[in-house]
Amino acid sequence: MTPGRVHPMGWRRLLLLPIALLASLCVVMLARTLAQTPDLDARWRLDGSGHLQLVATDLPALHPSLGQSLEVVVAPGIAPLYVDGRRAVNSTRWLANDVERQAAARQQRQMARVLVSDAPVLLGFTDRTSAQVAPHPRGYAALGITFWLLCGMALALELVVAVVMLVRQDLRNLLYAIMAQCQAVQLLLAAVDAVPGLGNVSLLGGHEAALRMSLDVVTGAALLNATLLYPTPLPPRRALAALAWITAIVFSAAALAFDLPQAWWWCEALSLSTGLLVIGLLGWSYRLTPHPYATVVRRLSIVATGSLALVTIVVALNDRMPGEVQSLVTAVPVIWTVFFASLLLMSPFLARSQHMMREFAMLAGVSTLATSVDLLFVAVFSFNQFASITTSLFVALGVYAASRQWLLDQMIGARAVTTERLFEHLLRIARKVEEQPGRAADWQLELFHAVFQPLVARHEPGFTHTTRWYEGGAGLLVPLAVESPVANSPSQFDDGDQPEPRLIVLRFAERGKRLFTAEDARLADRIVEQLRRAVAHDRAIEQGRSEERGRIAQDLHDDIGARLLTLMYKAPNPEMEDYVRHTLQDLKTLTRGLAATTHLLSHAAGEWKADIAQRLAPTGCTLEWSFTQDMEIQLNVVQWSGLTRILRELVSNIIAHAHATHASIQAELVDGQLKLTVTDNGVGGTPKDWSTGLGLGGIRKRVRMLGGTIVWQQNTPAGVRCDVSVSLVSSMPTSPGAIAG
Amino acid sequence: MAVKVLILEDNPAAREFLGRVVRESFSDTITIVEAGDLESARRQVRIAGGAQGYHGVDPFKLILVDLELPDGSGLELLEELRQYPATKIVTTLYSDDEHLFPALQCGADGYLLKEDRFELLVEELQKIVRGEPPLSPAIARRLLGHFRTNTRTGMNRRITDEGNGTALRSPAAASTFTSAMAFAAPAPVEIEPPLDLPALTPREVEVLTFLSKGFTIKEIAALMSIKWFTVNDHIKSIYRKLNVSSRAEAAVLASKQGLV
Repeated sequence: MTPGRVHPMGWRRLLLLPIALLASLCVVMLARTLAQTPDLDARWRLDGSGHLQLVATDLPALHPSLGQSLEVVVAPGIAPLYVDGRRAVNSTRWLANDVERQAAARQQRQMARVLVSDAPVLLGFTDRTSAQVAPHPRGYAALGITFWLLCGMALALELVVAVVMLVRQDLRNLLYAIMAQCQAVQLLLAAVDAVPGLGNVSLLGGHEAALRMSLDVVTGAALLNATLLYPTPLPPRRALAALAWITAIVFSAAALAFDLPQAWWWCEALSLSTGLLVIGLLGWSYRLTPHPYATVVRRLSIVATGSLALVTIVVALNDRMPGEVQSLVTAVPVIWTVFFASLLLMSPFLARSQHMMREFAMLAGVSTLATSVDLLFVAVFSFNQFASITTSLFVALGVYAASRQWLLDQMIGARAVTTERLFEHLLRIARKVEEQPGRAADWQLELFHAVFQPLVARHEPGFTHTTRWYEGGAGLLVPLAVESPVANSPSQFDDGDQPEPRLIVLRFAERGKRLFTAEDARLADRIVEQLRRAVAHDRAIEQGRSEERGRIAQDLHDDIGARLLTLMYKAPNPEMEDYVRHTLQDLKTLTRGLAATTHLLSHAAGEWKADIAQRLAPTGCTLEWSFTQDMEIQLNVVQWSGLTRILRELVSNIIAHAHATHASIQAELVDGQLKLTVTDNGVGGTPKDWSTGLGLGGIRKRVRMLGGTIVWQQNTPAGVRCDVSVSLVSSMPTSPGAIAG
Repeated sequence: MAVKVLILEDNPAAREFLGRVVRESFSDTITIVEAGDLESARRQVRIAGGAQGYHGVDPFKLILVDLELPDGSGLELLEELRQYPATKIVTTLYSDDEHLFPALQCGADGYLLKEDRFELLVEELQKIVRGEPPLSPAIARRLLGHFRTNTRTGMNRRITDEGNGTALRSPAAASTFTSAMAFAAPAPVEIEPPLDLPALTPREVEVLTFLSKGFTIKEIAALMSIKWFTVNDHIKSIYRKLNVSSRAEAAVLASKQGLV
């Protein structure tokens, strides 16, 4: 469901209406047929000896026989039908034994014939009493709530099939449609089976079991084929898919046309092995490409296959169970069918509604578990029904309570970041974005990387207003909260027309273990909003500060500067004049530092060079200047003014004391470490002998403030060499590539 | 006949000091007219023949203007005296481009920093009058940005047509994204006819780039293997273009607002 490939619905939505109407019509027709089928207005229950016990009835003729067990049904012109309660199960699909199944089917056919004949029938009970009653059409009300529920679900599934096929016509959707269609029919058949009564009209004659088995096997083949194609096309897809389809067709043909022996076992073996194969293939697919869809579907497959295995065991053990339980067993496959159908129903919306999905899946799993455990208890420990239901309910609820969180995490993948950590990340990144606006995009990438831990996180040009969610939750497109300001490059030669990254693309959440959900998209939006707000707040504060600094700088400059200037002009002697001039220059450095927050190192270097050259020129001292940097950095106010004044002071010393004819200044920035080497060829002498009044103290203090070191030594053949080393970058920034890795 | 000089400066000590600098700089007989605020400076200019300087019997040859004055900014006077045929120099305490750049745009021929030593100021003043204006790294940077903006906005494309100008805009720098967009939509057409503003030659750009890195004129001459006065010519030319471009921009602005 890539956003770009979804066609606008338009006419397709219109098409949906007739499809829905048609499907509803089918259901209504089915209900009408069933309602008109004659039946006895009585409720039956399987008793301990395998007979049907009359539980309730509105027919006055039957009232004396309440609580009696039915033995024989006699209709005129038809051989007496001895009713085996165990064979009166509605669906023959879930009878393991071939003989049993055929017998049950036969009994159903006979029962139908007896009831359809419209003549009054004679019911013989085990206590030798009998009653004569006439079958009537059962009417809509007698269809029972289960029938309508299952029909509703079948309709919903049918609609999802229609929507999926209308949205996009491709192989993947076709396979899904086949699966869902099969299960929709399966649900309808289950609905028919759920209608209470002595025996349903078998609409399909004796083929009901074979048809339902075929539907299951075809569903399995389609599932296997879909797994081979998606999320990652697997190498042996053609051979395996062909094998699966051939097996399904052969099985269906054999079951429908030739009454395949041991068909139920074949069907279960095929279904279970398909399930196992799908689980294995999804695991393999995940290793090839860690698409979270594979993990999620794999988990669901494990649940479905596991519960199917449980159902199979329960049904296989049915023979050994007491009679009261056997009627319960018939409910188990229905539960499983509903469970599987709901998985299918949900799977197109897997990432959109995971909340609902997981709650539902867990409830279905737990109820399947409870029922299965209940039946197992009854079968193995021969508990009576009430005790076993209570016990199994307790066990199931206990397991549910104990493993809920774990199950949730397994189903959905736990969010790696707690709210607390998220808050911390948000604050930290907001600060970093403020500190280094040039790398804002990188910091935001890091934030989202920390929050969702995706396998892929990168920038891309493009634009989106809100977070978008694509490929069914495989990826997330997040807008940048704060865009990097356009760098004003110092040179005219490099053209800054690079496309600015405007988007963050995240793929495969939680290292590929999880799909992005709609909640994730909302969370991302909220993070972006919060980040914007935090940065805007910080910027407002920073702007206020810088306005205030600017005002202080202006005042200092205008008032103190003007007075110092007057003082300088009126200085009684050149020394005093120079002293005031230096003070004035320091004041200017101070105010400039206050006014501007950052200076590019290369800009500062150019100014230093020009200033020093101008100062040295009148003294007849030649300047040799070299400046190299391995990366451009921003100096903060402290660094800029500190370095400016250190250099100025060092040059002042050369001018005032060294009487040098040549000065050399080398500045080198390597790995964030600035090394300044200032040498002259003047009268230096031993640095230890220097008096402290030379401004050296001031230089030392400034170097210390910057956290650097300064060393003076005698230069050969003459003069002094001064080495200053200052670290300008506290920590090397991590490269964005490392994050994206 | 004496050379008339106008010094506009509110600080009496500075006025006196600058007067000394002017006298020291030139061998001619100097008549210094001092003004403490914009108003009196305007009066003096009117007496000497008006802002256009055409009818002046005896116009000022040199005008020193302080930027921070009690009744306004020296920029106002510079703006009024754009056509005035005198060497106009800004004297200021502010050495940053924020303050100096507008002054240069208003037609100043150079600037002096008031806190510099007497000898240095004399030398600088002589240089400016000789046609060797100063250009600090910060201002050079600012100039580069200014002219590049002009080029970028399509006001003038000559810069790419001359010589090695192709280096200025490498086609590879254009991204695939924008080129894709270019295919998708036709190039936008400008309604405004492009302004015929002067653009920098590649040589001038080179000089400015060196200046922005702090190189002196001598060093630049050596680096570019040209004579120092050629470098100086480039700088003068840049000054001129800056003035012309700012005037042209002002004219466009005025016509847009219906003033002309």
